[in-house]
Amino acid sequence: MTYFAGIDVGSLSTEAVIIDEDATMLGYSIQETGADPVRAATEALREALSLVGVSREQLHHVVATGYGRINIPFADRKITEISCHAMGAHHLFPDTGTVIDIGGQDSKVIRINAEGRVLDFTMNDKCAAGTGRFLEVMAGTFGVPVQELGELSLKAQKEIPISSVCTVFAESEVISLIAQNRPREQIIRGLHRAVVSRVWGMAQSVGIEGAVTMSGGVAKNRGIVALFEENLGHSIHIHSEPQIIGALGAALLARGEIHQK
Amino acid sequence: MHITRKEYLLEQKEKGRRLMGVFPALYPREILWALDIVPAEIWDPPLEIRQAGAHLQPYICSVVRLGLELILQGKCDFLDGFLFPHTCDSIQNLASVIYDFIGARKPCYFFYHPKIPHGHTARDYYLKNLKALAAELKRQFGPLKMDSLREKVDMGRRISELLGELYDLRAARRLDASNEAFYRTIRKGEYLFPDDYIAELEGFLTQTRSEESRNGATIILSGILPNPPQILTLLDDLDVQVGHDDLLNGSRRLLISNEKPGDPFEYMAECYFHMPPCPTRGSSISDRMRHLLSLINATGAKGVIFNVVKFCEPEWFDVPNLQEELKKRGVPSLVLDTELNQGLSGQMKTRLEAFIEIVRVHRESITTKH
Ligand SMILES: Nc1ncnc2c1ncn2[C@@H]1O[C@H](COP(=O)(O)OP(=O)(O)OP(=O)(O)O)[C@@H](O)[C@H]1O
Ligand SMILES: [Mg+2]
Repeated sequence: MTYFAGIDVGSLSTEAVIIDEDATMLGYSIQETGADPVRAATEALREALSLVGVSREQLHHVVATGYGRINIPFADRKITEISCHAMGAHHLFPDTGTVIDIGGQDSKVIRINAEGRVLDFTMNDKCAAGTGRFLEVMAGTFGVPVQELGELSLKAQKEIPISSVCTVFAESEVISLIAQNRPREQIIRGLHRAVVSRVWGMAQSVGIEGAVTMSGGVAKNRGIVALFEENLGHSIHIHSEPQIIGALGAALLARGEIHQK
Repeated sequence: MHITRKEYLLEQKEKGRRLMGVFPALYPREILWALDIVPAEIWDPPLEIRQAGAHLQPYICSVVRLGLELILQGKCDFLDGFLFPHTCDSIQNLASVIYDFIGARKPCYFFYHPKIPHGHTARDYYLKNLKALAAELKRQFGPLKMDSLREKVDMGRRISELLGELYDLRAARRLDASNEAFYRTIRKGEYLFPDDYIAELEGFLTQTRSEESRNGATIILSGILPNPPQILTLLDDLDVQVGHDDLLNGSRRLLISNEKPGDPFEYMAECYFHMPPCPTRGSSISDRMRHLLSLINATGAKGVIFNVVKFCEPEWFDVPNLQEELKKRGVPSLVLDTELNQGLSGQMKTRLEAFIEIVRVHRESITTKH
């Protein structure tokens, strides 16, 4: 049996996924990227391999993706997150026409074809508005874990609109709302709206077509997903572990390269 | 030639030539050459903006910003004058900031060209302005000998021929040069006197002309200039060649005319009206589209990259329409809005690389369909 690995070195998290030659996902590992992306990648791969009981030598091909893809010494090839998230989402949900990936520093809207190949995409620039980072800063302001932010926003009956998209301005806006004793859940709901509106605006330039799949860590935030679904008018595919979709796509592309030959 | 631009210009000054700082983009270089003036074009000086911000609104592009900074930092003190072609409103405003407001302490010249490049009135207007500029320059730097002007027109023709040959070879995949080396060489024309530039181009042609045809993906690069240069090196790393460009300081300035030079002024006008379409000369979207498609056909390019200087109005007006038209024809395109000399952010690199991945898949699927 031969195996393939995909490694997604993101700005916040690093994932490794192992698949076999039938494209079955055998296991994965998620690590914090931290200050040393190569170490995180090495650790993620080591853990994933040991979980599934496969040795490094049995790995036929490794594809690295994510912003840290450039420096991964054991990768046979580098492919951008755009192509990897596309392939990963297509594999899990074959009817996917549009992928929304929101990670720590990037948000992307990707339109894909029936083979999981990218047709068009759009991506934020340097600014953190509409990214996981924005939500983390706001979670910090409220002193709640970012994992709980989504649930809190779902509890709100009403919503307090946040007028700034810029992280720095939005933060001071939130601080003054807190000082005015406005309900926390409603402010949080407004913050979620700000993220969704931003990404929704980006999405208009490529258009949203077919079924929508969300990937990246922010897809774990049920508040964000609910607002996207509200905008769309229908439900979104969310895998039980959306954070690994990029790494899964990388593994699938690693396998695809060999099979083409 | 291994000396820097500054060293070269100072050497020219030693020889007794005069130096003119020229802002983008179109101007009758032959007239300057004939007066023994070396045009030193100011596109993207490698400076940090410290002072220019005080004189310009935040939405002014970095070509203008860097040009003004160059002057404010005293780095133009060795020049003998400035020439401002009327390329866009921002450069026009820059001219007035420098001339009326800061006080350039050097002669300033202005060159207007017609924005609707067809019809007799446009031609008459252009000829009139050519002669007016010549007369003004003569007053300061004269005399302007017709023999010398004829000679320089011939040199200009030779440069166009050489550039044309380089571009054609590259389009035919028979040029063995990185994107970085190609534009580094081409861009020497922004300050070399014509005889030196001709020698440079001839040398480059001999070195890079290749019998073997190059494989690999090809794209068209559109915009004002190939900056940040990291775009070129990233494309080199990805083994992607710019098959042709639609750059204002590249092929949009290629002066090609089939006519034999008779009267030098008439000839210069003839060339002007034969230049490829450009938004700074008011070309229509349909002309630009036709031109882009012809570049795509000539090179087999599978995508277009619009590298647009942030806040460049003439460019931004057209880009959405051009993208839309390309999309209708199934040609992928990418827009990068860049600030000069600011490199490529991680996000921009990802965008560029992802675009190349699309282009490659596109190419494969087209080849397998055949
Ligand atoms: N359990 C969770 N619940 C809610 N949100 C979460 C959870 N885990 C992560 N996130 C969100 O996901 C973000 C990180 O996403 P992800 O791990 O996909 O980023 P990344 O891939 O490292 O970044 P990038 O792709 O931008 O380089 C965090 O900023 C946080 O907002
Ligand atoms: Mg990511």
